[in-house]
Amino acid sequence: MKRFNIVGTDVPRTDAEAKARGTAIYTDDMKLPGMLYGKILRSPLPHALIRNIDISRAASLPGVKCVITGEDTPKIKYGNWRLFPETQDEYPLAVEKVRFIGDEVAAVAAIDNDTAEEALELIKVEYEELPGVFDVDSSILPAAPVIHDYCPSNISVNRKIKYGDIEKGFAEADYVREDTFTMQSVSHAYLEPCSALAQVDLDGRITLWTSTQVPYIIQCLLASTLNMRENDIRVIKPFVGGGFGGKMELRAWEFCAAFIAKKTGRPVKFTLSREEEFLTGRRRHPMKIRSRVGFKKDGTLVAKDLRIQLDGGAYNAMGPTATFLCGNFGAMLYRYPNYRFHGEHIYTNKPPASAMRGFGAPQSLYATEIQMNLAAEELGIDPIDIRLKNAQVSGDKIPDVATISSCGFIESIKAVADMSGWKEKRKNLKPGQGIGIGCYSFISGGVFNWFNTQYPFSAAEVRAFSDGTVHLLTMASDIGQGSDTVLKQILAEELGLNMGDIRITSADTSMTPQADLGSWGSRVTLMAGNAVIDAAKKIKERLFGALSARFNLNVIHEIECKNGRVQAVTRPDYGLTFGEAVALVQKANRGEPLVARGSYTPRGKGLVTPAFGFGAQVAEVEVDRQTGLVEVKQMWTAHDCGTVINPRSVEGQLAGSIQMGLGYALSEQFVMDGGKTLNTSFVDYKMPTAADMPPSQVVHVDTYEPEGPMGAKEAGEGLASPTAPAISDAVYHATGYRCMDLPVTPEKILEGMKKD
Amino acid sequence: MRLPKFEYFEPKTLEAALNLLTQNGNNAHLLAGGTDVLVKMRNGRLKPEAVIGLQGIEDLNGIHFDSGKGLAIGATAKLAEVASNPDVLKHYPALAFAAGVMANVQVRNMGTIAGNLCNAAPSAENAPPLMAMGAEVALANLQGDRRIALHQFFRGPGLTAMEHGEIMTAILVPFPVPKSGASYKRVSARCGVDIAAVCVSAWVALDGEVCKDVRIVLGAVAPTPMRAVGAESFMREQTWTQELIETAAAQAVQESKPISDVRASADYRKKMVAVLTLRALEQAYERAIKN
Repeated sequence: MKRFNIVGTDVPRTDAEAKARGTAIYTDDMKLPGMLYGKILRSPLPHALIRNIDISRAASLPGVKCVITGEDTPKIKYGNWRLFPETQDEYPLAVEKVRFIGDEVAAVAAIDNDTAEEALELIKVEYEELPGVFDVDSSILPAAPVIHDYCPSNISVNRKIKYGDIEKGFAEADYVREDTFTMQSVSHAYLEPCSALAQVDLDGRITLWTSTQVPYIIQCLLASTLNMRENDIRVIKPFVGGGFGGKMELRAWEFCAAFIAKKTGRPVKFTLSREEEFLTGRRRHPMKIRSRVGFKKDGTLVAKDLRIQLDGGAYNAMGPTATFLCGNFGAMLYRYPNYRFHGEHIYTNKPPASAMRGFGAPQSLYATEIQMNLAAEELGIDPIDIRLKNAQVSGDKIPDVATISSCGFIESIKAVADMSGWKEKRKNLKPGQGIGIGCYSFISGGVFNWFNTQYPFSAAEVRAFSDGTVHLLTMASDIGQGSDTVLKQILAEELGLNMGDIRITSADTSMTPQADLGSWGSRVTLMAGNAVIDAAKKIKERLFGALSARFNLNVIHEIECKNGRVQAVTRPDYGLTFGEAVALVQKANRGEPLVARGSYTPRGKGLVTPAFGFGAQVAEVEVDRQTGLVEVKQMWTAHDCGTVINPRSVEGQLAGSIQMGLGYALSEQFVMDGGKTLNTSFVDYKMPTAADMPPSQVVHVDTYEPEGPMGAKEAGEGLASPTAPAISDAVYHATGYRCMDLPVTPEKILEGMKKD
Repeated sequence: MRLPKFEYFEPKTLEAALNLLTQNGNNAHLLAGGTDVLVKMRNGRLKPEAVIGLQGIEDLNGIHFDSGKGLAIGATAKLAEVASNPDVLKHYPALAFAAGVMANVQVRNMGTIAGNLCNAAPSAENAPPLMAMGAEVALANLQGDRRIALHQFFRGPGLTAMEHGEIMTAILVPFPVPKSGASYKRVSARCGVDIAAVCVSAWVALDGEVCKDVRIVLGAVAPTPMRAVGAESFMREQTWTQELIETAAAQAVQESKPISDVRASADYRKKMVAVLTLRALEQAYERAIKN
């Protein structure tokens, strides 16, 4: 392992104290003089034409300052796939038609929240209800109601992948099985509901403070939907209380805050309630997965034919990316010499599904992992052994995708089997007790540019000062995952400084260098980290040149930044403090400050990602065979995220992933009645609490990713996938019930046990 | 939503509270901990013009135990206080458990047993153990006091036997007779913090191996917390055997009338009535023989 000073240590998080003390300012904490409070009127119907909207009574309610409907807006559609405008299917406020319960129809701004809410009740909307469709099977029938006129089939995206010779592969197989899996929809349930505050400045520019993962994308899409220029929009991301993929698109309230601020000249804030978040919020795609896999007798995979239908809800949202990625995830983790994928993104009259931690992987890998276990059992091979036989390794090439530059998957499987006492426990547990495995591979950021950015994927600016401090500016967004801390660590490491020497400004589109695609796809550490290193290296070149001149160094000397000094490696006495060296550079440039820009854009890295994370997880459960309730007794994880930059942060990602995986496996689901979400509070949306968390042990497998900053790659999303299959497999081991339709509920377990 | 306009009173004596309640008629609502009332007011389901807070009345917040009279829980005693009271823990462990697992820490630190009962949710977690232990509630109005058995108190979801002008002043639980024991069992989807999808409480009094008396109370499987009277009478005066309690559990299932909702299906609830009744009876028996 390469040795570092700051990287790899548990430096306290930059934001930890403010959050612990309650002094961190989130969007909804902000109040500006004269600020108005906004509320959104939402469709009560899943599918209807808007015949008329009468806002007169609402507009005349004392205290109401502005009421808008879709008719008042420029009526410009938006969506994150700018490269393919036909996929941009959403208006900020509904125009002529509503497509799900919760679709945004009108917005009110008033002097306080209560008045705004009262005004909503005074808006009269005449709807002509249309028949709705609520599942993928009905939606693709020829006679199904058409949800978007541009898309008569209701299938908005078709994605196909094919390599090898699928027919030949299956012909060579000794054992072929085909299974169908379904997964439920779950909520991001970030603890900070969405909030946005807009203000107009003297130039007419709009500043938007918003709880988002993607300030740059919001800037661009807000500009286009308002018919303004990009530079007329300034987006600032304050503290954000989690996103998990649910805050990575422009949303109606961001548009409405900006639009009404412009119209009234007063600041406007919208904050969603928890009920709104649950009733209408984005969610993880329910999927129907049909997977056919072929093996040799010895367990070697020869072919996979994967068909996935995504229930996208009423709009594309990030569904096209999920459709693309779930097909890639289907071909990751194991070696599939022959592979075929067909994914369809299908509209239904439900709240739109979108990106959510794992972005198609939790669903796709659930099918992969359960099917591996089914096959292992039929072939008489231990689940660990069948994985070892097929595991991807460093240097493997996934056709049309990428070459895997570093891979600690085999090491992860072996480590987790050791830690958990797999061989022993798999044989000797008591009835009701079980142990199961789940594995994952994930991307470290995407190389695709469907957003069609004209800028580098990530950028950094480093300003060095003669007082020994440096200022890092980056548009990378810390949404609670800790990127501010990690980027400071990387910069401190590269410049030989301490954390206390670094100041950071992040995620303000008017101040920080263009651009950054945001916090999603596990891209930030790798991409923004590389941009920071790029900028830091340019600073170092300037410092090294000045030092060389100052000490008249022979050109063959290596120079380093270390322990707050800039010095010749073999002659540290030829050296200066960092601040002195900066002063020297500045003097040599007649006062010009020492500033450098760095950037990172993945190039020549295939079609999907520059680097892959891997890992394996084992769960031990105890099932109450009378109630069907599952207690997860222990989780063991071994994973490969390359260099661990901040161990505590990585362990935090793991704990959060287990918490989400636990809910996905056992208790979380949106209970729907047609298009209506019935469980709209945390009482009935069963997200696990701290008290439900099982004990957990982890091993970080030691690898070094050549494409990553200081060897690092993703740690935040891959881990969201293995928990559900591991728990599900453990439940099977404990009870004989094999879950093909998540979640694993007590009722299904009791029913499944009965069949035996 | 905007809270409806209301006047808030905080009387210092029960008499003052009763006067206010009578004067304000149907437009008045009592508030003990507020964890149900304020939520209902916030979402517009309750629009009282007068809210009468009971927390300022000193006599109402006590938890009194006496080995002769038993337990008296004042109307404003907090759930958390009941759950951690040494006498409750020692003599009424089933109640301590129910009060200590319901809702969450914040609600337990504000909410009260009396409020939980008066809210009359089918899933009210304190109702089954209290009914099983033969609790009564003390109701006062300007004319005087009356006592009513808790099993006659609930009339439907949100409906009780209380008449207008009455205040629940205390919950009275008899001292446990020798060789008696009570228990409380529940299931919910989340183990840590959750509302019960089904709950069952049992109380038994033994005479040697004979079940002298028994009460079985089911929660969240009918419009009100309900006694499984058929199962009870089946067990009374019978020798305690595994077969006896299994048959009683099956009988309790017959008596339950659950619905399907977001928390569980009717079918699963029925299955859980069987499992929990059996487990509740087993634990009540264990406690009885040690008592």
